[in-house]
Amino acid sequence: MAAYRRLEGRSTQLLEKIRENLELLNEKIDVMIEIQKHGQREIPEDLPEALDVMTLLSLPDHLRKTAVTLCKLEKATADEVSDQTKRARAVESGYLNQLVVMGYLKKERHGRKAYFFVDKEA
Amino acid sequence: MGKIIAVHSYKGGTGKTSLSVNLAATYARKGKKVCLMDLDFRAPSLHAIFKQQGLDYWLNDYLNGICEIDKVLVDATNDHGNDGKLVVALANPSTEAIRDMTAKDRKWEMKALGRLLSLRSSLLGDGNFDYIIFDTSPGLQYSSINAIVTADVVLVVTSLDASDINGSQRMTGELYDLFEKKTGILVNKVIADYLSSEKEQKKFDKYIKSIHKLPVLATIPCFCEVLRAAGDFIFTEEKPDHPFTETIENLAAKVEKF
Repeated sequence: MAAYRRLEGRSTQLLEKIRENLELLNEKIDVMIEIQKHGQREIPEDLPEALDVMTLLSLPDHLRKTAVTLCKLEKATADEVSDQTKRARAVESGYLNQLVVMGYLKKERHGRKAYFFVDKEA
Repeated sequence: MGKIIAVHSYKGGTGKTSLSVNLAATYARKGKKVCLMDLDFRAPSLHAIFKQQGLDYWLNDYLNGICEIDKVLVDATNDHGNDGKLVVALANPSTEAIRDMTAKDRKWEMKALGRLLSLRSSLLGDGNFDYIIFDTSPGLQYSSINAIVTADVVLVVTSLDASDINGSQRMTGELYDLFEKKTGILVNKVIADYLSSEKEQKKFDKYIKSIHKLPVLATIPCFCEVLRAAGDFIFTEEKPDHPFTETIENLAAKVEKF
């Protein structure tokens, strides 16, 4: 019986790991879809480092909305940003990850949730 | 939750400070809890109206991360006899402070935006303020754009000067629209001839609507008495029956519903 319980525990852990990896994979696909959809030419090549208002002004409209919302929330998940912007979670996840790739945002995981924030000390 | 209002203009001298002060005083007189902030760090002016001596902290210090916002706020309710509450946050008018604020880098401006955005929770949330009014610097300055990003409503003060109209039109497309802000136009210092009769006023309103894409929330005549007050006192408090006071009261009601 104890051996069965151990086995069951391990299976649950394995399934949890698979689910986490699928989520990560999903986020990466979101980024790729967004980058492909809007094309690299919309993103200015000479990116300034800080996410200040001049940078916000230079961002394409779809990313500006996400970036301004995150500035207001300080630290948030894609779900929380999508609540504010009224756009789909997957879309916001894509935009947030794109801003991470561009170096304007940082991302950290707490358990199953991914939090995005502006790194003010960078 | 309350509202953050940024009073902005393309050019200087349009009457931003006078309108900000009178709007704040009008809301306070109507029983609202109002915080008026001087965000024009290059040419601070609220200190000259509210005449506070020996301040330990200025709004500059809050944005510099030296203190929290409660250390900066000065209660002006008693001096101005309002039914509500009027507090002010003053910008440091010393040459040294002005020089310091003009030499800030992009990273500092990013942090300053974060400090301004957090006023929503500290003042509108925890402090139960009904309104925060930002008196901004003109044009595309960091401090004014930070204020616009933070605000819920932007009031653009414009005169009838051709370059001012042109600049305000450009800022609509290149600034306010990009940040998706609720924006209204205040046409200030309108000469009396344009408003001499109902017919003239209708003609003028039509002209203003044709040049600005945005809603016009107020057309404010140029009153010699307001100019003569020269910022020595808060006009709407001293002259409650004057047409200028009525215009500001109508504006306050429109902004409340905007």
